[in-house]
Amino acid sequence: MSTLNTPGERKIVTFSLGDQMFGIDMKALIEIREWEPPTPLPSVPAYIKGVTNLRGTVVPVIGLAERLGWTPSVLHARSCILVATIGGKQAGFLVDEVADIILINEDQIQPAPEVETCEQSVIAGLVQVAPRTQEGAAAETSIMVLLLDLESLGLMRHLEMAA
Amino acid sequence: MPVSDELDEIQAIFFEECTEGLAVAEQGLSAMAAGDVSKEVIAGVFRAVHSIKGGSGAFGHAALLAFSHCFENVLDEVRGGKIAATPEVTKVMLTAFDVLADHVAAAQGVAGPPSDAAALAALEEVLATKGAGTMAIASPAPSTPVETTPVDIEPAPAEADQFGFTPVIAGVEELDPFGFEPVGVSMDDLGSGDPQPWTVRFDPSRAAMANGAEPLLAVREVERLGGVMTEVDISALPPLRDLDPEESYLTWTLSVPATVEESTISECFDFVAPDSVVEITRAAASMAPAMPAPIDPSPAEPKTAPPTPVLALVETANEPPPPPRVTSTADARQVEVVQQTIRVDLMKLDMLLNLVGELVIRNSILSDRLPPVDQERVELPELARLTREIQDNVMSLRAQPIRQAFSRVPRMLRDLAGETGKQVILEVSGETTEVDKGVIEKIGDPLTHMIRNAVDHGIEDPADRLAAGKPAEGLIKLSAEQKGARIFVRVSDDGKGIDRVRVRAKAIEKGIIAADAVLSDEEIDQLICAPGFSTADTISSISGRGVGMDVVRSNVEALGGRVDITSTPGVGTTFTMILPLTLAILDGMIVRLSGQRFVLPLTNVIETVRPEPGQVRPMTPTSEVIELRGNYLPVKRLTDMFGLNEEARRSPEESLIIIVESESVGNVGLMVDTIDDRREVVIKSLDQNLYPIRGLGGATILGDGSIALILDIDALVASAGPITSNAPLKGLAA
Repeated sequence: MSTLNTPGERKIVTFSLGDQMFGIDMKALIEIREWEPPTPLPSVPAYIKGVTNLRGTVVPVIGLAERLGWTPSVLHARSCILVATIGGKQAGFLVDEVADIILINEDQIQPAPEVETCEQSVIAGLVQVAPRTQEGAAAETSIMVLLLDLESLGLMRHLEMAA
Repeated sequence: MPVSDELDEIQAIFFEECTEGLAVAEQGLSAMAAGDVSKEVIAGVFRAVHSIKGGSGAFGHAALLAFSHCFENVLDEVRGGKIAATPEVTKVMLTAFDVLADHVAAAQGVAGPPSDAAALAALEEVLATKGAGTMAIASPAPSTPVETTPVDIEPAPAEADQFGFTPVIAGVEELDPFGFEPVGVSMDDLGSGDPQPWTVRFDPSRAAMANGAEPLLAVREVERLGGVMTEVDISALPPLRDLDPEESYLTWTLSVPATVEESTISECFDFVAPDSVVEITRAAASMAPAMPAPIDPSPAEPKTAPPTPVLALVETANEPPPPPRVTSTADARQVEVVQQTIRVDLMKLDMLLNLVGELVIRNSILSDRLPPVDQERVELPELARLTREIQDNVMSLRAQPIRQAFSRVPRMLRDLAGETGKQVILEVSGETTEVDKGVIEKIGDPLTHMIRNAVDHGIEDPADRLAAGKPAEGLIKLSAEQKGARIFVRVSDDGKGIDRVRVRAKAIEKGIIAADAVLSDEEIDQLICAPGFSTADTISSISGRGVGMDVVRSNVEALGGRVDITSTPGVGTTFTMILPLTLAILDGMIVRLSGQRFVLPLTNVIETVRPEPGQVRPMTPTSEVIELRGNYLPVKRLTDMFGLNEEARRSPEESLIIIVESESVGNVGLMVDTIDDRREVVIKSLDQNLYPIRGLGGATILGDGSIALILDIDALVASAGPITSNAPLKGLAA
C-alpha cells in the first residue's frame, strides 16, 4: 500500500499543464479518468467546468490551468481528469497529460520562493526530477516539478477568500 | 493490518454506542432533573454509563474509564436507593454527565482531555456523604473508584501445588486473593425469611483474554454487588507445560445476595467474550424480595441465562408499570428498548435508496412507453405500487426521530447558563417527529446557532426580566412537527424580541441596506440573517461574531428549506426552520434548455402553456409577461438566468411556458425549450463535493449516466430581480 512509504518519502503524480510540470501527492488521488464534457453549472467561476458523475456521486470538474491562472487547457486526446480528495470533498482536475508517478524525499522539496501573487500561493514546493526516458533510464537533464498544495485548491476555501 | 482495521471498526462502533449511551443518559438525567426519579429512568442512566465504562476499559481509554467508573458508582448507589436522587445529587450527576461527554470526545480524539477534578470530587463527595452508613448487607461500598489493576497473582498455600508451580487460586476457603469476604458472612446475613441468594456460574470462553475481555473484571463487578465466591472450578486447568497464560481455564461460582436484581447481575457480564457461559440461578424461594419496592418479580425456579448476555433479559427484569410522570417520549423510549435493532452502514442504506430510486425511474419510463392496455396486461400498476412501497420503506429506514438533533440542547443551555448567568428552562415537544437522517445531521449547527442566539440576544438578564414582570428564568421552547412534506422546527424564546430600531441602524451602518430603505417589520427581522450582520455590542464567545444567523440561513437553504422569523417586542422571538422531509427523492419534470437537461420540481408546477403568437409580450426591453386567462404573469427565460443564451433566442411560440408557483413572488412563467419527461429523481446534493449554488436544489443522475441539475424555483425567481442577459444568478460567494 502507498502508506507503507518509508518516512520522508512521498509518491507524487506528475502531469503537465502547457509547458509546466506539476505534481500532487499520490495519497490524495482517487482516480484518473478520460476527459468527457461535464454538465455546466450556472453562476460559478469560469474555472469550474461543471459537474460529472463519478460512480453515483456528483463531482465538480475544475480547469486546473485556469484555476492556477494559466491559459485554459486545449482539449486533446490525452486530456484527462485527476480525481482527488481535498478536505473530505472530491474534485476532478482537468490536466493536459499525466506524466509519471515518482518517489521523492521530503528533503528534495524546496519551499516555493516568495513571489508576488494575488492570492495565497498554491505551490507547496519545487522539486527537481530527472524525467524517465523511454528505456526507463534517468535522463541527463532534470526538470522542475511544481508541487501543488491541494488544500489551497479546495473550492470552499477559494470562495471564502472571494467573499 | 486487518487486525487493526477490525479493531478500529469495533472502536468506531463503541463510539457510536457511546453517543447513543450519552443521549440516553442525558435524557434520563433530564427526566430526573424534572422530577422523574423512577427506577427505570435511573436504571437507564446507569446502563448507559455502564456500557460506556465497559467499552472504555476494553479499548484502553483510561481517563474515560476512571471517570465513568466513579460516575457509575454513584449511579449504582442511587439506583439501589442508597443515595436519594435529590435535586442536588441530580445536579452533580448532570455536571458529571457533561464531563463524561467531554471524556468521550477526548477518547475519540476530537477534543482535548477535560479537567474532571471538580466533577470527580463532587461525585466522591456524594458517595462519601450519602452512601456512608446506610450500606445494606454484604455490599462492600466501592470507595476506591478506579480499579484498572491487572490480575494479581498471589502465592497460594503449598498444598495446592499439584502442578509444581504456584497456582493462581486453589481453594476459596484457604485464601483470599481478591479481597472478598468468606462465604459464611453473606450466607448468614440472608435470613431464612429472605429469598434465596443467586448462584452465578461464570465460565469464560478460553479465548476471553485474547479477545480483550478480562474475565476478572466481570468477577469483580459481581463482587461489588455483594457477590461472594463460593467455588472455583479448576478442573479445566491443564498441566503446566500445556498451560497457555493467555487462555482462561477457570470457572467461578459466586453467591450474590437475593436483594440484587437479576438484571443487575447479568449486566456485569455485558462485556464478557462471546461463548462464555453465564448462569444466574436461584434456589426455590417463596418469600417476597427484601427490596424497598417490589421490583423484581423473580421466577421461583432456577433460571438459566443464555451463554452470552442477552439484552432481553435485562429488559424484562425491568418492567414495572411506567411512572406517572411520563412525557410523550417515555412511551416511545419504552418501545424502542424492546424493539430489536440492527446496525447498518449508512452507505449501504444509501446504496439501497439509490437502487430503489432507479427502480422507480425505470417504472415510470415503462409506464410512459406502454399503452394503457399493455400496462394492465403486464400488471405494471401492481409493480408500480410495490415499487413505491419499497421506496417508502427504504426511506423510512433513513428516518430518525429528531430527538437526536435536540439532544445536545440541554447541555448547551447548561453551558450557556454558566457563561451568561441566564437561567433558561427548556420545553421540548415533538421530538419523536421522524426526519431523514441527512436532515438531522445538517440541522445540528443551525439549531446550535439559533439556541445560542436566543439565549444571548433574546433572553434578558435575570434582573431585567424581573423588572419587566417576567420570571427570572427564561423559557425556550423547542418543537418539531410535520406538515405535509415539510418539517417545522421552532425555537421560541420569551425574551425581549428583536429591537428593530437597533437592527435597522446597524444594517445601515454595515452598509447592508440604504439609509432611506423602506422596510416592513418582517424585512427588518430578516436582516439579522444577512451576512456580516451582528448587533451584539460586545463580541462574546457565544454569538456576536456576525456569522451565526447567516450560517443558519445558508445551511437551511442548502437543505432546500428556509428560515422564518417572527418577533414581538417584549414578548419574544420565534425562529422557524422549514425543512423538506427527505433529501432523497423528488418528483420532477425534465426540461431542456439549449440542449441541457434540468429538473423542475413538480410540486412547483401549476400548468404548462404553449404560447399563441402574441400571448407573450415584452414589458420592458429585458422583461416579458404572458397573458393567461386575463391575468398577466411575469415570464422568465431560464436560458437567460443560467447564461445559456449563446444560441439565438427562441421565440416564445417555439418554447413552452411552465407556470410555477413560488412562495415569494406568486405565480411565474418559466420559458423552456421542451419538456422531456416526468419522473422521480434521486437528489444528489451539490455541496457534498462543491458548495450550494443559489437557484439549484441539487443534481441528479439520469438513466444514461449524465447529470441534470435540479432547479430551486423559489430561489430562482426570488433572487432574479431585473434579469439581464449578462447578469446570471449570483453564487453564494457574491
